[in-house]
This record gives sequence, structure tokens and C-alpha cells, in this order.
Amino acid sequence: MGSRMTEQRQIDQKPPVSVKGVKGGLLFVLDDHCPHDELLNHLTEMFHGELSTLFSGPETNVFIDYGARKLSIEETRDLLRIFIDKENFIVKEFGNETRARNSLFYHHKDKMSQVKEHIYKGTVRAGQQLLFDGDVVIIGDVNPGGEVAATGDVYVLGRLRGVVHAGVQGNQTAIIAAAEFSPMQLKIADWVSRAPELDGQPLRTFMEFAYLREDGMAVDKLLYVHSVRK
Amino acid sequence: MGTAIVITSGKGGVGKTTSSANIGTALALLGKSVCMIDADIGLRNLDVVMGLENRIIYDIVDVATGGCRLEQALIRDKRVDQLSILPASQTKDKTALDADRVLAIVQQLKEKFDFVIIDSPAGIEHGFKVATIGADEAIVVTTPETAAVRDADRVIGLLEGQQIRSPKLVINRIRPKMVRAGDMLDIDEIVQVLSIDLLGIVPDDETVIAHNIKGEPTVLKPDSKASLAYRNIARRILGDSVPLMVLDEEQGLWAKVRKLFGSRA
Repeated sequence: MGSRMTEQRQIDQKPPVSVKGVKGGLLFVLDDHCPHDELLNHLTEMFHGELSTLFSGPETNVFIDYGARKLSIEETRDLLRIFIDKENFIVKEFGNETRARNSLFYHHKDKMSQVKEHIYKGTVRAGQQLLFDGDVVIIGDVNPGGEVAATGDVYVLGRLRGVVHAGVQGNQTAIIAAAEFSPMQLKIADWVSRAPELDGQPLRTFMEFAYLREDGMAVDKLLYVHSVRK
Repeated sequence: MGTAIVITSGKGGVGKTTSSANIGTALALLGKSVCMIDADIGLRNLDVVMGLENRIIYDIVDVATGGCRLEQALIRDKRVDQLSILPASQTKDKTALDADRVLAIVQQLKEKFDFVIIDSPAGIEHGFKVATIGADEAIVVTTPETAAVRDADRVIGLLEGQQIRSPKLVINRIRPKMVRAGDMLDIDEIVQVLSIDLLGIVPDDETVIAHNIKGEPTVLKPDSKASLAYRNIARRILGDSVPLMVLDEEQGLWAKVRKLFGSRA
């Protein structure tokens, strides 16, 4: 059960801190899992090492999101001190599920609430990038050049012909499903894979999904999803 | 109050200007008053295609910067009375136009004309934004090629973001033989990917190039397939329901015989 995808590889190890430009400043997303010391060393290296010029300059608002990391009082102090000591940083937010982090995600106009399941209706067209916090169902096609990413699962009730990234923050149990499965590229957590080239093969009409198992990524009919994910 | 329609594509060379010239002329031939705006500043083409190049004195940049009145820059077509064109500037570049000024010009023209056809530049940068700002409706032109369809998809996404009422699709330069052989994208396939209404299909027709060189829009000559295709598009814009053209060329005797016996060629 489960045909393996061709051409797959694990994306290089992510650094423990990722920096994103957000409205009004810089967002630092700290990795949930790496050891505290390693995190502190990495930050110190970032701010005072070779590449520190990247972060010096005019006053900058910074937002810090430490995700699911459990911090003791000591650790919180150490962590905050690194940011406060950086002379041009103004710390605006420190916590998990920060406003700055959540602003990265696609929100429905009417509900900005903490919903973790989303339904997006419409075609995701070339050049559009949507990011969802939680699971998402796309009712429509994902066209070539369109991108959907979610921290959870991605279901496409239509033709998946673009790029989908499930489990963007490292959730390895996330899956990608589509009514017509001919993606350009698939990513789950830190794995990336290309679909096999099916030249001239007739369109298949059943839903399929991709998931990770011990030996890498596999694709199966959607009806097996429950036996794979006990 | 008239309707402003922007003609755009994302990709260059798919036939935006030719389509603008022909759709505008066809609408005028059907009795509507039409003004065409060339928004491709710096690479003006619409006046050349229309054969009105030698009549230009003022252009849209002059109007936008207050160098002349709007009426002074409008050029009346020499063949069709109801048709005018507001030419682009050859010397300035795309940044010379301010979106607000263009919006005001389009509003002013909408009061005088039934249709304002805006020929957008290729690309999705400043020039595209300026061309689309005053538009009520949009026509996206594509050709049966992967890159053109991809760019059309991108542009449709941008148009939807700008609250332009559902954009319509024109598929240009179709070669029925190549489509049949599977060497060109199928019309159904394109419509399915782009999932917008199909306004018309235009066959690849050598007479279009011949007319371009003479500075005459193809629709003025009623004898070609492309001419008929553009006339049909204009009629659909006016709300007539015109069936899509059958593009398959005259088949040989044997094909007809085979068809007669119901076998697949």
C-alpha cells in the first residue's frame, strides 16, 4: 500500500530562529524543540557575529514568538535580555501565538477568531500564496504557480496542480489530499517532493493523499487515511 | 454613463493591442460611441495599428499633466465616425502617469462615450495598475500556450483583488490543426484552468498581420475568420448570445466520406 513519490529529499535543517518581515518590524520565530543553550548561542551569533550588520541600523520594532517552548523564569530573562541589549531593537511583543505571528496567516474577513479549521472557497491562482494556521479545505482548484501552506492538513476538493506545503511548522503527521492529484511540488514538514510525471495518462477521478512513513513520502487513496493515521 | 473595459494579459505579444483595436472598432461599427485609450506609455502601438499615427499632436501624458485639454488629445478615426482614440506618449515612460489622474480621465470619457476601451501594457507593475484603476470590466487575452495561460491566471487573480466585475476571457491565435494534434492547449482545458467566462475565440489568421501593416483593424474587412470572431466578441459584449465559432477548417473529401460512415478519423 502506498506508492512512493519520486524525487524527494529532506530540506536542510532549519535554523533555530527564523526571521520574517512583518508590518512595522521584524518577527523572530524561535524553534520549539532546539535546546535552550543552542537557541541563545544562535541569537548571540546573529546579533554580534559576522552577519550582525544585517540587524544593526535604525530603530526597529521586534516581535518574538517562542511557540510551544516552555520557558522557566531564568530562561525567559536570558532570552529577553539578548533582544533588549541590542541597542536598536524595540521589543513590542514576546510570547506564543503573538499577534505578529498570526498576522502572517490568511484570515477570513468575518472571523478573525482562533479557528483552526479553514474553508477557502475559490481558485488559488498563479502567484497567490495562502498560509493557514490549522487545517484547510480548498474548495476549488490550486492552479500551477499557486501556493497553499498550512500548519496542519491541506485538502483540495478540486484539481491540485500547484504547490502545497502541509505542516509548515514541522508537523510530520500532516497530509495533503486532492480530488485530482497532479501537484507541481509537495512539501510536508521539512520534506519536499515532486509528483511523478504522468505524461498522457488519463485524469484520475479519486481523491489521493500524501503522507510520511519510515522510508519517506508515500501517496495513497484517501479512503486509507484512517488506517494510516490511527 | 458608459462602461470602461480594460484589455490585459500579463504576458506580452498575445495580441492585446490587436484585440483592443478590433473590439473597439467592432463596437463602433455596431453603432456605439467608443474611445480607446492606449495605456502602454513609452511603447505606443494602438495608433499605429489603427493607422492614425500621423495625426497625433497631444497624448495622454499631456492631458494628465495639464498640458492640454482632453478634447484636444482625442483623435477621431478616419473610417468610423463613432470611434476616437487617446494615444499614449512615445517619449515618456510608464511612471509618467499618475493613477488618480488616469482615473479622472476615464471618468470624464465615460460620460461622453458608451465604451472606453483601455489597452493595458504587458506586465503587472505600475503600468498595469494605472490601466486597470478606472476599469469597470476586464477582458483577459491569452493564447493557447502554457506561459500565456499561467500569466493570464496571475492577472485574473490580481483583477479579482481589485474588485473588477468578473473578468472575461478571449483566447487568441488558435490553430485548429495544432489543437487537434495535441500540440496546442485545448480551449476547454484553458477555460477549466482559468475558470472564468469565455467571451470569444480568435483563430490565428494571416490577414490580421497584413491588416496590421496597413494600419487597418481586421474587423473593417468582413471576409476573414478573425474579423468575424472579433465582431462576435463585440456582439457578446452588448449582450447578444452568439454561439462560439467552429474553427475546424474545410476538410477533404475523404474526411467527409469517413464522417458520413461514422468512423473516427
